[in-house]
Parts: sequence; C-alpha cells; structure tokens
Amino acid sequence: MTASNRPAFVSGTGLSGWELFLIAMLAVIVLANSALSPQFLSLNNQINLFQLSIEKVIVALVMTFIIINAEIDLSVGSMMGLAACAFGWMFQSGVPAYAAIIIVIGIGIAGGTVNAFFITRVGLPSLVVTLGTLIAFRGLARVLVEDRGITDFPEWFDRLGQQGLIGPFPLSLILFAALFVICWLLLQRTGFGRKTYVIGTNRDVADFAGIDSGAHKARLFIASGAVSALAGLFYAARVGAVRGDVALGFELDIITIVLLGGVSIFGGVGTMAGTLLAILIVLNLRNGMALLNITGHIQTGVIGLLLIGSVLAPRLKLSTLLPIISGRKGDAR
Amino acid sequence: MKNALLTATTAAFLAGTAIVASADTVTLEPGQDTNMVLLPKFLGILVFDQANEGAQEAHAELQNPGELLFQGPTPENSVAGQIEIMTTSATQGQGAVMLSNNAGDQIAPAAQAALDGGTRVVTWDSPIPSGDGEDVFVAQVDFGSIGIVMADMAHSILGGEGKMAVLSATPDAANQNAWIASMQEALEGDKYAGIELVDIVYGDDQSEVSYNRALALYDQHPDLGVIMSPTTVGIQAAAKAMQDEGLCDEVKVSGLGLPSEMVSYTLNGCAPEFALWDFRDLGYLTYYTAYGLATGQLTGDIGETFTAGRMGDYTVEEDPGRPGAKRILMGPFTVYTSDNVEAAAQ
Repeated sequence: MTASNRPAFVSGTGLSGWELFLIAMLAVIVLANSALSPQFLSLNNQINLFQLSIEKVIVALVMTFIIINAEIDLSVGSMMGLAACAFGWMFQSGVPAYAAIIIVIGIGIAGGTVNAFFITRVGLPSLVVTLGTLIAFRGLARVLVEDRGITDFPEWFDRLGQQGLIGPFPLSLILFAALFVICWLLLQRTGFGRKTYVIGTNRDVADFAGIDSGAHKARLFIASGAVSALAGLFYAARVGAVRGDVALGFELDIITIVLLGGVSIFGGVGTMAGTLLAILIVLNLRNGMALLNITGHIQTGVIGLLLIGSVLAPRLKLSTLLPIISGRKGDAR
Repeated sequence: MKNALLTATTAAFLAGTAIVASADTVTLEPGQDTNMVLLPKFLGILVFDQANEGAQEAHAELQNPGELLFQGPTPENSVAGQIEIMTTSATQGQGAVMLSNNAGDQIAPAAQAALDGGTRVVTWDSPIPSGDGEDVFVAQVDFGSIGIVMADMAHSILGGEGKMAVLSATPDAANQNAWIASMQEALEGDKYAGIELVDIVYGDDQSEVSYNRALALYDQHPDLGVIMSPTTVGIQAAAKAMQDEGLCDEVKVSGLGLPSEMVSYTLNGCAPEFALWDFRDLGYLTYYTAYGLATGQLTGDIGETFTAGRMGDYTVEEDPGRPGAKRILMGPFTVYTSDNVEAAAQ
C-alpha cells in the first residue's frame, strides 16, 4: 500500500500546505535566533529550551488526539499539579518514592476515567466536564500540600529530572522523543488513528459505521490523565520541589501549541507532524526572545498573535478579506 | 568518623579564613565589565521598580560598562517565568542574577545550575528557603533594629514623654512578637524612660478588627499619646480610625507602613512618622553585592566586609533564619515623614 492509496488526512507522509508554512516559519525563527544570539545553537541551550517546557510538550502530543477527536481536556494542567502534589504529599508521609510514582500514575488514570465517565457515559460536553475537573483537581492539590512547599526528594529522583541520562539528554526529553514516535505511528499509521479522525470529523457517521466512539474517547481521556500525571512527576523532579500552584495555567499553553500546529478546534483535522512543528516554533521563539532579553509581557503577546494568525490564516482568502477592508473604508466615510 | 574529622578541620580552616577576611574592608573597584540581571517576583509592582532604580543608581556609580537588565515574568507566570529567566541568564553567561524569589525551592535547581556555570546568584527581598543555589541573601530587616526604630519614632512623636499602646497583628505572629519584644527591650534604655507602654492589642491583620481595636484603645486609655502598629494593615486602620473620629490631635499613629497607603495620614498629621525599608536602597545594596561577586572582588564568605557606596559597610554573616545560608543585613529602616513620604508613595 502506498501513501497515495490512503485518504490525504491519514497519510502523514506528504506535508500539507500548513505544515510547509510552519516549516518556513520555524526556519526563519531558527535562522534569526542563531544570527542574533551566539548561545542559541549550543547543545546546552537546545536541551534547556526543551527542558523548560518539557511537561507541556509531552501533554501536547496526547492533546492532539483529543482535539482531532473534536473534544478538549482543560484539566491537564490541574492533573499535573495534583500529580506533583500527591507525590510530594505521599513522599512526605513516608511512602517510598518509587511506590508514590506508581500510585500517582494510578491517580492520573483515575482522573482520566472520571473525565471519560462524565463525557462518554453521562454525555456531558468535554469542555464543561474538564473545566469542572480543572477546578476539582487543583483544589485537591492545594488541599494536599496546603500553603507549603515540599522539597528534599530523593537524589535519584531530582537527578532524573535535572541531569542527562544518556549523554546530556535527560530522561524527559528521551521519553518525549519516544512518545512522539509512538503517537505519530498511532495517529498516522493505525486504525486507531483513522478512528480518531473519523469520529472527529463526524461522530454520527462514525457511529453508523459501527465505531464505538464512546470507548475510543474514553481511552483518549484516560491516556490524557495518565500522561498528565507523568508530566507532573517530571515537573516535580525538574524543579525538585512542589507547591499547590504547580503547572497552573499550563493547559492554555498546551492547547495553544496544538492549535498552532494546524489541529482544528472543530475536530477531524490535524497531524502529529504539525504539533511537533508548533512545539519547535513556540519553544524556539520563546527561547530566542528570552536570549534577546525581550520581556515576558511581549513574549506572551507574540505567542498570542501567532495563535490568532494560525486560526485565521487557513481561512484567509482574498475574497473574504476584501469585503472586510472595503467595509471598514465605507464606515470611515 | 574520618569524614567528620575532615569536616571539622575544614570548618576550623574556614573559620580561620573568615577571621582574616574580616580584618579589612573591601572597597569595590569600579569600571569592571559584567552583565547582570535584576529578577523581581514579577513585573508591574511599585517596590520592584524602586529596587530597580536603586540598582541602576549603583550600576551608574560603579561605571560598569556591562548591561544591567530588569527582567521579570508576568504575574500569572511567575514561578515558571522566574525559572526560565534564571536558566536563560545562565545560558547567556550573565555575571550575576539578583533574585527576589517567588518560586520557593522550585528555583533551587535552576539557580544551582547557574552557580555551577559561573553565574553568581544573589537573592534580595525574598530568599531561596533552603539556601541552595544562592550565594548570599541581602536581607532588608532585622528583628533587633526594628525595635529601636519603633522606640525612636515613639520618642520623637511623644517628645520623650507619654503613653504608648501597641496594635499588632495576631497574638501568635512570630515576627510581630519578636519585633514588639525587641521594642520593649529598647524601651528599657534611659533615653526612653519617659515612655510608658500601657497596652498590647491584636487586630488580626484585618482592617475592620484593627480599626475597632484602635478606637477601643483610646476609650480605655484617654491620655494615650501614640498607637504603635508594626503591621501595614494595623497602622493604616488605626490612622483611619483616628482620622475618622477626629482624634489625630490627641493620638498619633506610627509603626510599619507602606508610604503609598500612609501618605495622606502623614500629610494630615495623623501618622507623622512611620518606617519601612527602602526598596531603592535594597536594590542599591544588592547591586553592590552582586557586582563584587561577579567581578571576583568579593568571595561571599562569612565575615567578609565591603563598602557599598553611599550606604556604608556591610558584612556577610550566617543567616539566623536559614541554617547554612548566608545573608547581608541592610538596615536601618527608612523613617517616613511629611518630608519624604510623597516621593516614596509614587
């Protein structure tokens, strides 16, 4: 079977126009960064650039599936916070760190199951359900650690989050690479991925075709919970301490990346390659601006503009643009 | 056992060095080139801008040809943003990062990595709790000096003679209690013999409770001369209470307050004097410390003394609040009166 035999959206080998645009944008950013700051291309900086956002980009991979499936998971940041705090709390209560890690992944699966239950069994919109669990998971995290910070984790745990495991590459980065390959294969090369697209494009058609949409969505939300919990553990290891506000607001950055990658918020459209490109663009852009000492306010603004542009650009046709411009002129007169 | 012996020897050796170091005061040589970053908790806060002004003043004074950057995260991204700026600064090879820490111990690994890479880390305003990843903390307050400052303000307001009451925060607030205790200690001095401390009450650091407690103090002690409130909530509530009831001619209010909140009460005479540390000075002293460390003129060892420009001499000491960590104590407090409160309240 060759690539041309598959529907274009499942292909994944040929790059769409949007992805080519993203590659061009990335090239411009990387070239500008390396021209403007001598440290940019150093291996150390390239690793740091990933490390600083590693939790977000790991979760973005799973979020890609969920949004293509025409759903959303707003609870990922809170789940990361809950996972980190639950780990800290258990560790402080005397639970061995390795056992706490396993339990925390279990908490992620349980949290994802709660989301899945209300979305697929009760039939509530994922926007509402995960907004609820966003609040609930965060509340639970704050209850566990109160207004304290918990630190002094075992040295091996901190080292896993902070130092290179294979050469200079830390565990989280290696795991991200592995997870990307798995997610890419799943989405672009398997029946699971094809179902994701079909359900996201038109759920009725999917149901009619005998696809168990509910079970499929449930799997995605459970995976999202588990991966978020894992990301929360990475955060705890990276910073060596946890507080109730760990990963606060991360969900918005994650969703921003996925949408920038060309995944449609209405479902059915998007690729794993697009998400990876968006990850590289956002991280390189942020890093470049930071190295040029551009303040946080402007960084946030630029990323915001980028997102608006990414949603707007595919709809940008001259025919739709012209009336807007001429209309404005008409008002001015 | 062997390790313990080794540690003991090292400690003795270090102690020896410290004594030698304290023998002379380091005067920093200006004009050395080092880039530094002033990293506040987040942007858009007045006191941090004031600290930046102080640091810029020192930067100009020391004629550092390098750059002084005021880099902060956005408020909603404070923790991750501070870690990111710390990491980026290390990548850039900045000479020093001056950090008002808002990330608790979460910033320690990034700060430690910066230290390991040759970037000095000086905290100010708010230290790294564990002390990991930090050269030294420039502390703004000392429990002992605050008692003397408050006693002096009471002395000045009362003209050396009269009755004073304390309006504190909560009965179990460790810092407030220590400050009151240090003031009581100071009051035993001969200079303050005419001042009588008649009562200590607690307003729970809530405006309404503090307001009512202040009025109750006047009812119970009609000949009261001054209410001393070592909390920014209490002093403002007490001043408002006295102003609202038209008692400002009889009872004055003093203590620790924010100029921006106290300016009207100071100008109308209800709170003629109050104190707080000066964030400009804090930025200035922090810059001198960081410049000295980044240019290799200071080591940051305990006992080291250096001259910080217009502010005079400072010594690196053990931080009593954080075992194993070091601090430089700023002090004394800035006393605000009608002469300087408006400028500070901006």
